[in-house]
Amino acid sequence: MSELALELKTLSDLERKTEELSSQINSVTRGDRYVETDDDLIKLKVTNNKLKHRLSLIRESIAQELKSSVMEVTESFSITEHLENVFAQAFAIAFPEYGNIPVIIAPVNSASAKYGDYQCNNAMGLAKKMKEMGVNRTPREIANELLKACPASPIINKMEVGGAGFVNVFLSKDYAAKALQNILRSGIKPPRVPKQRVLVDFSSPNIAKQMHVGHLRSTIIGESISRLLEFLQHDVIRINHIGDWGTQFGMLIAHLEDRFPDFLNVSPPIGDLQSFYKESKKRFDTDEEFKKRAYNRVVSLQTGEENSRKAWTLICDVSRKEFQTIYDRLDITVKERGESFYQSHMLSVVDFLRKKNMLEEDEGRQIMWSDEGKSGVPLTIVKSDGGFTYDTSDMAAIRHRIDEEQCTWIIYVVDSGQSTHFNTIFKAAERCGILNPTIHRANHVQFGVVLGEDGKKFKTRSGDTVKLSDLLNEGMKRSLEQLCSRGRDKILTPDELSEAQEAVAYGCIKYSDLCHNRISDYVFSFDKMLDDRGNTAVYLLYTYTRICSISRKLSEDVSNLETILDTVEIVLDHEKEWKLAKTLLKIHDILLKCSKDLFLHFLCEFCFEVCAVFTEFYDSCYCIKKNKDGEIVEVNHSRILMCEATAAVLRQCFYILGLKPVSRL
Amino acid sequence: MAGEDLIAQFQTLGMSEQKAKETLKNANVTKNLQLALAQAAGASLADGTGMLIYHMASKLKPQQAEQLPLLVRYIVERKLDNTQRVDAALEYVLKCGQKLKANIDVKELEQECGVGVVVTPEEIERIVQAKIKSSYKEALLEQRYHFNSFKILQDVRSELKWADAKSVKAAIDVEIFDLLGPKTEADLKPPVKQNEKPKAAKAKPEPNQTAQAVEAASDGANTIAELMKTKVHFHAPGENFKTDGYVVTEHTERLLKEHLQKTGGRVHTRFPPEPNGILHIGHAKAININFGYAAAQDGLCYLRYDDTNPEKEEEKFFVGIRDMVEWLGYKPVKITYSSDNFQQLYEWAVVLIRKGLAYVCHQKAEELKGFTPKPSPWRERPIEESLQLFEDMKRGKIDEGLATLRLKVTLEEGKVDPVAYRIKFIAHHRTGGKWCIYPTYDYTHCLCDSIEQITHSLCTKEFQSRRSSYYWLCNALEIYCPVQWEYGRLNMNYALVSKRKIGKLIAEKIVHDWDDPRLFTLTALRRRGFPAEAINNFCAQMGVTGAQIAVDPAMLEASVRDVLNVTAPRRLVVLEPLKVTIKNFPHAAPVQLEVPDFPQNPEKGSHKIILDRVIYIERGDFKEEPEKGYRRLSPQQSVGLRHAGLVISVEEVVKHPATGDVVELICSSQSAEQAEKPKAFVQWVSQPIPLEVRLYEQLFKHKNPEDTNEVPGGFLTDVCEHTISVVQAFADQALAQVKVYDKFQFERIGFFSVDPDTSNNRIVFNRTVGLKEDSGKK
Repeated sequence: MSELALELKTLSDLERKTEELSSQINSVTRGDRYVETDDDLIKLKVTNNKLKHRLSLIRESIAQELKSSVMEVTESFSITEHLENVFAQAFAIAFPEYGNIPVIIAPVNSASAKYGDYQCNNAMGLAKKMKEMGVNRTPREIANELLKACPASPIINKMEVGGAGFVNVFLSKDYAAKALQNILRSGIKPPRVPKQRVLVDFSSPNIAKQMHVGHLRSTIIGESISRLLEFLQHDVIRINHIGDWGTQFGMLIAHLEDRFPDFLNVSPPIGDLQSFYKESKKRFDTDEEFKKRAYNRVVSLQTGEENSRKAWTLICDVSRKEFQTIYDRLDITVKERGESFYQSHMLSVVDFLRKKNMLEEDEGRQIMWSDEGKSGVPLTIVKSDGGFTYDTSDMAAIRHRIDEEQCTWIIYVVDSGQSTHFNTIFKAAERCGILNPTIHRANHVQFGVVLGEDGKKFKTRSGDTVKLSDLLNEGMKRSLEQLCSRGRDKILTPDELSEAQEAVAYGCIKYSDLCHNRISDYVFSFDKMLDDRGNTAVYLLYTYTRICSISRKLSEDVSNLETILDTVEIVLDHEKEWKLAKTLLKIHDILLKCSKDLFLHFLCEFCFEVCAVFTEFYDSCYCIKKNKDGEIVEVNHSRILMCEATAAVLRQCFYILGLKPVSRL
Repeated sequence: MAGEDLIAQFQTLGMSEQKAKETLKNANVTKNLQLALAQAAGASLADGTGMLIYHMASKLKPQQAEQLPLLVRYIVERKLDNTQRVDAALEYVLKCGQKLKANIDVKELEQECGVGVVVTPEEIERIVQAKIKSSYKEALLEQRYHFNSFKILQDVRSELKWADAKSVKAAIDVEIFDLLGPKTEADLKPPVKQNEKPKAAKAKPEPNQTAQAVEAASDGANTIAELMKTKVHFHAPGENFKTDGYVVTEHTERLLKEHLQKTGGRVHTRFPPEPNGILHIGHAKAININFGYAAAQDGLCYLRYDDTNPEKEEEKFFVGIRDMVEWLGYKPVKITYSSDNFQQLYEWAVVLIRKGLAYVCHQKAEELKGFTPKPSPWRERPIEESLQLFEDMKRGKIDEGLATLRLKVTLEEGKVDPVAYRIKFIAHHRTGGKWCIYPTYDYTHCLCDSIEQITHSLCTKEFQSRRSSYYWLCNALEIYCPVQWEYGRLNMNYALVSKRKIGKLIAEKIVHDWDDPRLFTLTALRRRGFPAEAINNFCAQMGVTGAQIAVDPAMLEASVRDVLNVTAPRRLVVLEPLKVTIKNFPHAAPVQLEVPDFPQNPEKGSHKIILDRVIYIERGDFKEEPEKGYRRLSPQQSVGLRHAGLVISVEEVVKHPATGDVVELICSSQSAEQAEKPKAFVQWVSQPIPLEVRLYEQLFKHKNPEDTNEVPGGFLTDVCEHTISVVQAFADQALAQVKVYDKFQFERIGFFSVDPDTSNNRIVFNRTVGLKEDSGKK
């Protein structure tokens, strides 16, 4: 190696170093600017990637939730609601600017099943709306776009655009079969609704007064509403707001003191509280001295004086016993919380209203207007004598129910005559800040009066109000007659017969009340309600027992549905099978519909429809084939399952309506 | 008040007041003692019984606590009458401890503890005599009183298990006295240490006093295999319940049985790095302990990438980690990924929520920091709600940072409810876009250990505070619970290992890359030329103690020298060549010389070098004006050429006309036999090839460049200047065919290794270490 080589080597090293330095200088001068923008760019890229990542996950979740909400047949849902969701998404995709329009889904009459099972009717309205905005689209075009934008749903078999612009939806038989299987496996599960704490105020008779047919309506409707809401998983408080407070107790106590001076030690044998009441009332109206004493007793009762209190309790207990007998017969559950309960709350609500400057002096009274404009009738909160009124106790009650019971939904089942009063109470409660309409819901579930067959107010022949116990007794008698006329007394065991008698008697009284739109008056007729044709409890109960008897005819045991379900697929090939399946699956729609405005006649109509459709099914689809000798030659298990599903649906509805199904009738 | 009462009570056991006071500080022992005292109420505690109770109470593990009444009774009844029997009883109870409410077989217990066994003085005397006669007599006669009689004691007791130690010792002393007579003056002198190690280990490891050594603690060994076989005392597979702090539940027995079935009783370990950086010298310890222990026990070791954090995970890290494990000579039985278990971990999280042991929390990350973070207001939310929210988290419905899943458990250090899952909208390199909730270390680690049936979950001391949550989590899920063993971290002085900080050094162009030989990453050490064996041996020397160790690089370098001394063949190289022309070159033409690769060990091979008229010597080996004591070449002093058989003397010094620098020496030569023996031999080359040699120096000035007390300006200000220099060296042609990472000793200079930058026309060497520790530096 020569020196030259060495020198060259040194040179090349120097060159390499220079190169390195110059590239470093370059990157520093250039880099300063670039690095900074780079940082921002990198940040944005990271954010962008994150958003993309999240978006894809959310999309996947939506798809999964859509799918699972249906595929998991363990979950129960309303078909209408599901379709509303499907179309709402279609709207959001196809017409995002009109995304807030409520989706209209209607079930298609079963007579027109070839056009579809459900339809979306929004296209026409939307076309009109778009025209207003200057966009010309035909409803059919819109319907077609909606159809295209619908996300896939496993409950939908196909969709078509029909007529002027309906999107017709055909349900999937696979889904229906799964849903029915699910009903058989785990019973009817309630559709999901946001859980609320609901207070149902119903029945509410008055102490020492006759419980009349008006109370009967409230009791029957209130019980069924409670059962419906409980089934929907609400937290329901049933309250019996009985009339156990007021001036009349003064005269009752005074009268009691006179009639049974020893009442503190010996329980007074008041057999008939009504006549006792009448006696005292008579004295009160005629005897000044007695009247004065009666007023004194009111004061002593309200101050909690021991003897008056005791007398009051004794009187209430008499009524309470009577009420309970009726509740037991009708299978009613309700918790007593009478007006007396609100005595202290009335004091504090007056205070509360006064502090809020809601009270106004009016000829010695303290009144409250339900609105600022002072329209309508004001509430009398404090009487001129310092006493309280129904207005006071209802204000105290609503405040207690919202503030202390923490209810978000309060339902008053009271006759239509009180509608002004309750509307005033609700408005007043809102005005003074007790009730917040964005959180709380208050409903007056009103109902019409009960008429006799003559179309006049329901009275006995002598013109008296009908005693409830007498009415129920009459029902029992008529029910037995009906059964005997059909020869049931010869077929059923004595136990079965009395079970059937009660089921029919009380069932028909309840059902005839519930199956009409409650707002209208209704004619009370044992003849009509005991008819075994038409929309009556008797017809429903008969159909139900018929369904139950089908599986009884089998030699095999079908009580263990699980094992049958594991081996048998539900087949819905026959037109009537398919019709029955679709009818049964409406139950969730119906339950939600009933709960929306608290009308139970929809549920009655549904039961009636189920029975009718079942009869069609049973007439044209054999379940068990027998030969001439009456021996079973073939069993269609899928149809047996359909029968069981029908029974399950009816059973659930019956429970809500308060009907006791009997397996033999 | 209560304290004084207790002290008085403790004193009744025979403790001094001082001891009683000290005992009181240990809550555990105090609790055990109180229970024991209650149990022994009324019994006589005389004659050492009390102290035996204390002995038992201080050794009692939680797993044995159930049997405390039994033990106390046995001690009081004097069935367990010495510490040895108490220890045996404790051991026996522990063995039964994998079941809750274990039934103790009293008969077996008594047999295990030798209850009632009496050893007579005659028996002891007989055995002592026999043992000394057969095994120790000669050694005793030679070493006299310097002989460690403890060996005899052990030997005797192996035969007479229940003999009282004091009696045996006394018997041995008598026998020895009989044999040797009274002590002479020589006997009283301290013994001369025979093989005092003049080791280069000047830089001693400095055990950090903060950490307490684990039970397994002991000193180091020369190799990992030796260390793992002799110095480490972990539990046997399946005996998890015998370890300290292990929590036995009603499922333990079944789970351990299943575990043993699955593993066949073999040791399972794992090395679980996060794949988000480069391995460094600290990891080498973990690798060696995990792989080494498995190898020593004929077990298996996984390489598990703990890839639960989707950020910053890059392919190159995965490859790099595996590379380094293999470079250190280990082969994982299987490579696993924590992310493989994401689905299982998720399902377990749901189980925990259902059991009410985890909840979704919305506290912000900042709220959880600090010493006393506010307790979560969401801790007691309904289970259903947490389930729904956790599902929502998984589905991307909740934004990053707005929800976490937290475990209802408090860590030893007081941290409440550690986070198990957090939201990150980042795709994972293995699971892609599937997840946006990722499990934390705390949550993942133990569960993956359990899944892999790890027998010994070995980790550094910092994780000791996570041990209870580790056990809690496995037990909460009713799955197999491995045992966590902690060892001290290994820290290197004058070095940085933090990913972020090394990144900064690279960004600042202070070092070139992650494998710059001035760093202590494993790739850097490999590039610098450190043999894997040396690193492993170094780790072995550090041992598996619980103490955190900080060592100087010199310690590691010493290990490197030890290995290279016997493995790196020698070559002649001059780093700074000075031309020498031999006027009276004794050969007509260039000659080839055969030179041994290892002069001390010529049979290990040789290579050929050329000797020509013109040679190059190290510029530093010539001095025109030598100072006193100078031993090499000068105009007045000749020097020998290694392996050449020549001694040269300067005839003329040729200087550069302009600079006056010496550019050549004209020398005369004499054969070594004829010449007067020169004071030194130097290396030289003829017809050389050029080498680029990179010389590295220590990067930092201070021991702890990250310590802001030591280096207030931050580690970047602590960097030494000129820590790399590149020289053009001349080497013998024998070095022309080297391969990357070939290692050589350049005679008289140091150890060098071929750098990966080497190409066909360029050979690059890195200095690995000097021949001796560079004394000139400090």
